[in-house]
Amino acid sequence: MSNAIEVKNLTYYYSEGTPNQVAAIKNVNLAIEKGTMVGIIGHTGSGKSTLISHFNGLLKPAEGNVFVDGEDIWQSKETLRGSRFKVGLCFQYPEYQLFEETVFADISFGPKNMKLSPEEVRERVLEAAEFTGLRKEMLDKSPFDLSGGEKRRAAIAGVMAMKPQTLVFDEPAAGLDPSGRKELIKLIQNYREKTGCTVVIVSHSMEDIARVAERVIVVNDGEIAADGTVDEVYSHSDELRKMGLNVPEITQIFSKLHDMGYDVPGNVYSVEKGAEIILNLIGRGCR
Amino acid sequence: MVRDITFGQYYPGKSVLHRMDPRMKLAATFGMIIVIFICKSFPALGLMTLFTLVAALLSTVPLKMILKSIKPVLIILIFTAVLNVFYSKGGQTYFSWWKIEVTEKGVNTAVFTVIRIIALVVLSSLLTYTTTPTMLTDALERLLSPLKVFHIKVHTLAMMMTLALRFIPTLIEEIDRIMNAQKARGADLETGGILQRAKALIPIFIPLMVSSFRRAYELALAMTCRCYTGGEGRTRMKQMKLAGRDIACLVICLIVLAGVITLNIFFKKVI
Ligand SMILES: Nc1ncnc2c1ncn2[C@@H]1O[C@H](COP(=O)(O)OP(=O)(O)OP(=O)(O)O)[C@@H](O)[C@H]1O
Ligand SMILES: [Mg+2]
Repeated sequence: MSNAIEVKNLTYYYSEGTPNQVAAIKNVNLAIEKGTMVGIIGHTGSGKSTLISHFNGLLKPAEGNVFVDGEDIWQSKETLRGSRFKVGLCFQYPEYQLFEETVFADISFGPKNMKLSPEEVRERVLEAAEFTGLRKEMLDKSPFDLSGGEKRRAAIAGVMAMKPQTLVFDEPAAGLDPSGRKELIKLIQNYREKTGCTVVIVSHSMEDIARVAERVIVVNDGEIAADGTVDEVYSHSDELRKMGLNVPEITQIFSKLHDMGYDVPGNVYSVEKGAEIILNLIGRGCR
Repeated sequence: MVRDITFGQYYPGKSVLHRMDPRMKLAATFGMIIVIFICKSFPALGLMTLFTLVAALLSTVPLKMILKSIKPVLIILIFTAVLNVFYSKGGQTYFSWWKIEVTEKGVNTAVFTVIRIIALVVLSSLLTYTTTPTMLTDALERLLSPLKVFHIKVHTLAMMMTLALRFIPTLIEEIDRIMNAQKARGADLETGGILQRAKALIPIFIPLMVSSFRRAYELALAMTCRCYTGGEGRTRMKQMKLAGRDIACLVICLIVLAGVITLNIFFKKVI
């Protein structure tokens, strides 16, 4: 089976050919298998957004190739356009892309571009709205009348309605409050469980990533610095700190406790889990 | 890509021209453009061309960039050259066929005009290559400040210009971002007829307007919060000072002016 996305020797420069030229991506190799849930983390300015913009051909590599479904997307106009529908990209602050008169019309923008029949478009819009928890009566409102969180959901629904094989989110929870963050991450998780599609999430929050991702890729200064399971990557907390990334505090506490010889695992990434373990431990001690 | 439109076309550098007082640069460029039009004879124009060349060399802006600035006026250049060749008649005839006649005077005027336009374009682009847009508006504000006596709000005008210039890159970035987001939803901006392409711009234009208004309100609010009340009593972070190099520039410009006038008197007029 071919990989959902594969990147070979990818290099990209911003402002190529001017005195301000910077290499944002340096010779990156990466393969994302179908059906996996991958998290990408990295310090601000490390090149995460630049990297994922190559996945559906929004940026053209200076060197190297990008394969979607085993096909080089830059080989022809058709493959390039095809990649836009195969890989759904949801940018940071997607609510600023809304433009239609109603939420319904806005969500249907993508499916319409795929030249689907009106019935099919309608079906997909309703489905995507349900996934993202947008109530029916909201669909007739103007997208500019929604709250920030609702706008975000509408924008995400707009990408989901295209039913891409791979969904890529750039900081989907940026600027939301903690409960909004959790809900949104949950929503993405549910969507994946239902559809079985490949999901890539870019996030600053190592907690969010730990909660959902099966594999974590660390980007640092345009290069891939680490790649592995959450446990593998998060255990190198010193190296991560050098790249400006801090493992969740709860993880730091538990790994310290673990090193001190307490009977707790070193890989705890959420406060809930930590609380459960400690309660267990105390319970055992009492009895 | 939208981003490739260079605006203001500042070319970073540390040359003498970059370090000159922008007021002097602006005034000198303006003055020397007038001098270009005072030139009437080839030696005078030659002197002016020499001045332009020396300025270009001093600026350390690569030749490629300077040539790029001439490109947009290429059509005008060709047009003027052709018109002049055929319309000004006099002197020796080089070529004649039916009603078309190419004469000495025609060729001379054509060459003269073309050199003039090129010198003009190069001089003014050297100004924008070596001065950031903000510095330029600042200088403009200072040079125009005597107009205050006529109750013209020079400061407000300059502030508006500065803000507009400041937000052009931001807008370009925003357009880029929105375009990418819509492209990711399968928007097709590259194909189709004019009407179809115009329609395809709606998904980009509307979010752009929305965010521009938001930005404008936020900026106004932020400025008010920092007690901005207009030009009165405002001091500057970057004081402009005339230095030796500025005086030198002034002297050189005056010498070139004197030279042009003398050469005009002693040599045959072309125009
Ligand atoms: N349009 C651009 N022009 C020039 N340089 C850019 C541009 N966009 C990004 N860069 C530079 O490329 C590098 C990578 O940027 P990128 O946006 O991919 O980072 P990021 O990892 O997504 O950061 P963040 O977490 O803040 O979103 C940065 O150093 C940035 O300054
Ligand atoms: Mg980013």
